[in-house]
Amino acid sequence: MVPEPSACGGMVSGTIARVTPRIFNVPAAQYFVVRWRPAALLVVVAALVAGCTGGPAAQEPITLVFKHAKILGPADPVPGLLKEFERRHPGVRVQAESLSWNSDDQHQFFVINLEGRGTAFDVMMLDVIWVAEFARAGWLLDLSAWVSPAELAPHFPSTIEPATWSGRVWAMPWLMNVGILYYRADLLAKHRLQPPETWEALVDQVVRIRTAEHDPRLDGVLWQGRQYEGLTVNALEAMWANGARVFGADGAIFPEEERAAGGLSLLRALIVSGVSPSWVTAADEELSRRHFGDGRAIFLRNWPYAMDLFQAASSPVRGRVGIAPLPGRVGGAASAASSGGAHLGVNRRTRHPELAAALVRFLAGAEAQKAMAIGGALNPTRMALYQDRDVVRVHPDFPAVHDLMLRARTRPVTPAYLMVSTTLQPEFSAALVGVKSPRQAIEHARLRLGYLLEGLQ
Amino acid sequence: MTAGRDDARAGRLMLAPALIALAVLAAWPGLWVLWLSLQRRIPVFGIERFVGPAHYAFLAVDPRFWNALKVTLIFTFASVTLEFLLGIAVALALQGQRRGRRLAVALLLLPWALPSVVTGRTFEWLYHPSAGLLNFVLGGAAINWLGEPVLALPALIAADVWRTMPFVALLCYARVLTIAPDIYEAARVDGAGTVATVRDITLPLLRRVLLIALLFRTLDALRAFDLMFVLTGGGPANTTETLTVYAYRSLFQTLQLGFGAAIGVVVFALVMLVAWGYLRAMARDEEAA
Repeated sequence: MVPEPSACGGMVSGTIARVTPRIFNVPAAQYFVVRWRPAALLVVVAALVAGCTGGPAAQEPITLVFKHAKILGPADPVPGLLKEFERRHPGVRVQAESLSWNSDDQHQFFVINLEGRGTAFDVMMLDVIWVAEFARAGWLLDLSAWVSPAELAPHFPSTIEPATWSGRVWAMPWLMNVGILYYRADLLAKHRLQPPETWEALVDQVVRIRTAEHDPRLDGVLWQGRQYEGLTVNALEAMWANGARVFGADGAIFPEEERAAGGLSLLRALIVSGVSPSWVTAADEELSRRHFGDGRAIFLRNWPYAMDLFQAASSPVRGRVGIAPLPGRVGGAASAASSGGAHLGVNRRTRHPELAAALVRFLAGAEAQKAMAIGGALNPTRMALYQDRDVVRVHPDFPAVHDLMLRARTRPVTPAYLMVSTTLQPEFSAALVGVKSPRQAIEHARLRLGYLLEGLQ
Repeated sequence: MTAGRDDARAGRLMLAPALIALAVLAAWPGLWVLWLSLQRRIPVFGIERFVGPAHYAFLAVDPRFWNALKVTLIFTFASVTLEFLLGIAVALALQGQRRGRRLAVALLLLPWALPSVVTGRTFEWLYHPSAGLLNFVLGGAAINWLGEPVLALPALIAADVWRTMPFVALLCYARVLTIAPDIYEAARVDGAGTVATVRDITLPLLRRVLLIALLFRTLDALRAFDLMFVLTGGGPANTTETLTVYAYRSLFQTLQLGFGAAIGVVVFALVMLVAWGYLRAMARDEEAA
């Protein structure tokens, strides 16, 4: 129950105790209030009377704090959206506070504050891989009372799975991401080639184009092999394409062991054969994006954000870049791209659960996501927006991106995701740089994961 | 006697604020970490139980831990050694310089004054495989500085030396300035050459300050974190993962608080051991002098 601050009368009886701490807003003052309740009551009543005679404007509004990552892109549509929410909820102020763009820093910030029972923020933007973890830890408010399955249905399927971990709604999808194969449309057309459907075909095309172009500075395919979350994503995609999973339905680790090793072998072979430059083992999204953006590679695996940058007026590859699904494997599976993106969740210790949930639903709603899509360089999670005429006018590639997103696959949805991923990263990295054979790397990864997950029982 | 006892009491009283501050700020968190390291505590899974020295037993057989220890020790030894050789050389060069000393000192301070994350980003660009200055200077080679297992750690050591050599150089330079010119004068009269002067006069006089600098630098290097965190994330294949990076990953990324604390305690023990060794060496030095 949230007191309606615009109505003075409604605040008198049961809500005084609730109001006092907010006026002082420090725990010590709360203690003081408990000990000196009569005096404090007098102060509050006096304040209320003063407030009433002064009109509703003199009252302190409820403030919701929204912690989010810095929104990168041409224009930040968030402030406008929050204004709109405030207009619809008189007496409520939303304060947006941005965190660094670095995902590790954000995670650390949330963990320290949530574990410390912090109430300094109400609504938070969560990387999709944290939702299950935060829910399991009891840090997220269960949104099932407000958000029905029907309300989630218009979002991409791969965003719903993490949001509804263990059968409850913990967060709402907000921003969508998916692994994409960028290719140099001009080069492929010149050599009469179609975007490759398998990695085998991609390697052939690279060899063909590079032989014909005689350009030693033109690289084949770029991706992210630095030891960080991006490596997990790229390695998983290679394994999925080869028909392997990290966890079987029964919880077995790498049930298709040979195929998992085969995924890593593919990545290692790309480096050894020179189809990928050796420095992909140190590359993250930006490093690989810039190189491709300078016109120095034929293919690139990256997220959709890169398209706007390739199409910028000053870009050397403007008008020469196409997008396609990530390749599959001959004798493996069809294309499998990882999903990514952000969800919105509510701090379980919020003092305004009702309003915080309303803010989440508003920001994840069609109207707000449309504004985000048009104003920012961000991709909505609502499928219908990819066919929306106003959105498509700004982002002509959206209908094509939609089809790729529909096929996106989630990384394992588990509260232990970060433990799993950071355990896998060194093993995957070792296979890429040739310190371990792919089979050894998978074997070691399985041993370590097994030990780790056993410890969580 | 009463006056003496009063003095002692007054002394204790005056020391009290400092001691209390130390107890609250250092001893209490330290003990808490030690206590934490004896528990399996993973808040996400609601796990919180006493396990005694189990984490330490695991660390003893954990290849990742031994690798991190090895990386930490190599990094410390190599970077501190290079910093000292270069730092002393720079201090001596400054001493011999007639003009532009002020400018040289200001330039020298620059790497030391930069926040380490800025240093990290700068080196990220220097080491950039295709657009980096380093590869450009090497004639357009495509050397994979940060992604090659044998190169990544040396690349980080070079960055660390660039950043912290000025600290050693400035400390030495300050000491060199206080050496009375007549000592050099006397040496010259006695017919000592440049090499003999440096070996027999400057270096022995630098000894004390070098020991202190060595203490600081070694302790810092043993706790090295930011450069590897920004530049390599500990990769490739954990070849640049130091103990503190391992501790960070366990504590803040995967929230294994007890286990991470155990690594922290090991780092603490290592640092204390080294500090104790140096302090003893210094004490012996003082006795000899």
